Amino acid sequence: MTRIDRRTFIRQSIRTAVATSAVGCLPALDLLALPAHAAEMPPLAVRKGRDVSRLVKETLHALGGIEAFVKPGEVVVVKPNIGWDRTVELAANTHPEVVKTLVELCLDAGAKQVRIFDRTCNDERRCYTQSGIRAAVENIKSDRVSLEYMDRHDYKELAIRGGQAFDRWEFYMPVIEADRLINVPIAKHHSISRLTLGMKNLMGVIGGNRGRLHHKIAESLTDIASVIHVDLTVIDATRILIANGPQGGRTEDVRNTETLIASPDMVAADAYATTLFGLKPEDVSTIVAAAQRGLGVMDLKQVRMV
Amino acid sequence: MKNSSWTYARKVSQSFCLALFLWLFLQTEYRGIDQLPYPVSLLFRIDPLAALADFLAPGPFGWQALWPALGIILFTVLFGRFFCGWICPLGSTLDGLGKVIGRGRRTFSPAWRRVKYYLLIVLGAATLFGVQLLGLFDPLAIFLRSLTLAVYPAYNYGLNGLFDFFYEHEVPLLSSLAKTSYPVFRDNLMAFHQPIFALGLFTMLIFLVIVLLEKVEHRFWCKNLCPLGGLLGICSRYAILQRTPQQLCADCQLCDSLCRSGAVRESGHMRSECLLCMDCTGFCPEERVQFALRTGTDNDLGVDLQRRGVLTAMASGVMIAPVVRIGPVTHEQNPYLIRPPGAVPEEEFLQRCVRCAGCMKVCIGRTLQPALFEAGPIGLWTPLVVPRIGYCEYNCTLCGQVCPTGAIAPLKLPEKKKNVIGLAVIKKDRCLPFAKGVECLVCEEHCPTGEKAIVMEEKEVLVDGELRRLKFPKVVDKLCIGCGICETKCPVEGASAVRIINEGESRRKRPELLAGPYG
Repeated sequence: MTRIDRRTFIRQSIRTAVATSAVGCLPALDLLALPAHAAEMPPLAVRKGRDVSRLVKETLHALGGIEAFVKPGEVVVVKPNIGWDRTVELAANTHPEVVKTLVELCLDAGAKQVRIFDRTCNDERRCYTQSGIRAAVENIKSDRVSLEYMDRHDYKELAIRGGQAFDRWEFYMPVIEADRLINVPIAKHHSISRLTLGMKNLMGVIGGNRGRLHHKIAESLTDIASVIHVDLTVIDATRILIANGPQGGRTEDVRNTETLIASPDMVAADAYATTLFGLKPEDVSTIVAAAQRGLGVMDLKQVRMV
Repeated sequence: MKNSSWTYARKVSQSFCLALFLWLFLQTEYRGIDQLPYPVSLLFRIDPLAALADFLAPGPFGWQALWPALGIILFTVLFGRFFCGWICPLGSTLDGLGKVIGRGRRTFSPAWRRVKYYLLIVLGAATLFGVQLLGLFDPLAIFLRSLTLAVYPAYNYGLNGLFDFFYEHEVPLLSSLAKTSYPVFRDNLMAFHQPIFALGLFTMLIFLVIVLLEKVEHRFWCKNLCPLGGLLGICSRYAILQRTPQQLCADCQLCDSLCRSGAVRESGHMRSECLLCMDCTGFCPEERVQFALRTGTDNDLGVDLQRRGVLTAMASGVMIAPVVRIGPVTHEQNPYLIRPPGAVPEEEFLQRCVRCAGCMKVCIGRTLQPALFEAGPIGLWTPLVVPRIGYCEYNCTLCGQVCPTGAIAPLKLPEKKKNVIGLAVIKKDRCLPFAKGVECLVCEEHCPTGEKAIVMEEKEVLVDGELRRLKFPKVVDKLCIGCGICETKCPVEGASAVRIINEGESRRKRPELLAGPYG
């Protein structure tokens, strides 16, 4: 072995350091906004029922089964709303049983890995536990499933082409890099966007100062949605929060609607969900903005109910 | 130097107690269970100074929690300062680190030893008159405080930096090792969120000074300064565990240079100074030294506390209270002096809090920060709620669970949710809808009370000459508990547009507020 003297060692170290930092200086990945993928007459499934697990299976079956969305060997991200330190009956987070059944379906369809996470508002440890989702996921007992705390190393700033509120934002890369993304929001009241549904749920996979999105909520959420490709949106409306959202805290504000809405078109699913609150799709500005940008269909006559 | 089996036993005890302490320290973190089974504050149950603070504070003495401290006193009366030599985590740390940094060979004048007794008298007299500063010098509090505020955060920071490095740079073997071992570290050996403390450096410096005093003299702190050592020293004056021979032997004198506490002298063995380290039973070349149970008080010298010194110390202690009281009432002067939920009224709080920083260690939202002068001249290291750094988690009761002296009462969750620690106030010159005419609702969205304490009111306003309908946040005073999540999450950069003030705290004794127009 050749011995290196101190001087050589220092010189080589500096060279390595310079080289490494040069690599780090490469420009941020430039992601094109997805081409408007508003399909003609997207399918939309709505089912009602008390048995949550069966409800999920029936709704998915109407869309052609999970196999229509998840192929064997794929990495799937299931993104529920786990934002708040609240228990199931308070309707602030996605129902654990909905999450569990969806994950099981993905596994049955042969998914290589199913990852579950959310960027929570309260302490993530508390939210994961209190929501019941930790227990539900642990119950599945498969090493292909992981409920993960989001890793601060994995956010990356991406350019948003055609962004109207922002031209760049930090995104959580495991979502961008996954083969499939299943968006599983819970339908809730929200003071500014009026309702929080599928599009708002995507705020859980971005970094940065999210509070800033509220200044122009419709444009901002549409910008975000234009970068993240959602394969399937399943809106948990087994119980909905009609006031004091998005975190609730009183059972008086919860309505048991026992409904599940699913569609490959997130905008259509969101549009339908407004009707559960006695609203119309046009009442929610984010839905209107997304439809105008061509991200989906908001006119419920233009969807195919299955 | 030869070690006797007693010395080994002592070292085992020290290591075990230190390890137990560190284990408890790591357990003092939320890991998915609302009720902590083994908080580090259990250690303070054996702390006679914490017991003294509790005893002199208003209200009945907390027998249930603090009886082990009285046990320590009793055993000290019988056997001497075994606590200092065998149990105290600060003492063990000094023994350990002293070996690492090297020890000074100087022997100080025995007169220095009086300092710890005088300090104890000053602190005791001040506490008696309502100004409790014992925690500032309590070795257990110093140790936990230094660990919580400085050593542990720095350790976390360093370790995180190391893991980050292996994440960002692909180093063969090491990177994959780092990635697989990270969850194990994160879930068991590290803080979930990097701790952030304003007084980290300050606390670290004080800890370093105590450690560096080892360079001057072995166990300088314990011998000369520690008031707990002083208290236990007084108690052990007539201990029945006694050393033979009592004096230095005429033919050897080795004890004079090797005894870490300088307790063996020509005139006798000072039981109140001996830390029972048992080294002399090992290093005595003639194997003469033995410890045995004996009564009789011959030859115990103790430290010569001069009457004049004692009186001066007492007078100084007594003087502290009125001098502190002539200052303005801090929690009325400083509206941002907010205490954790369950804190007893401010005056009693200061009498009870031993500045151990246990509450700051366990705080999930990282809102609890040590005070410098924010809580007045004697509020150093007491816990403050600082909502811009973090907020008080609505469903969490951990700080009350870990407080060893009842400064923060343990609240059940339903009580905690109603405990008011402050009131949110919206700053209209910063708040976005008011100041800039743009929509924002982050405070309302995060407000955790079931019926929200921040509501949005829609109004028509003129923005840049055009009429616009906008929603404005408004605080409902009677619902707000002051948790501070609105201040933490406020998206305005720099100073928050909503701030918590200590108005309407539950702990203040006052007549019920009449409902105002916003009530």
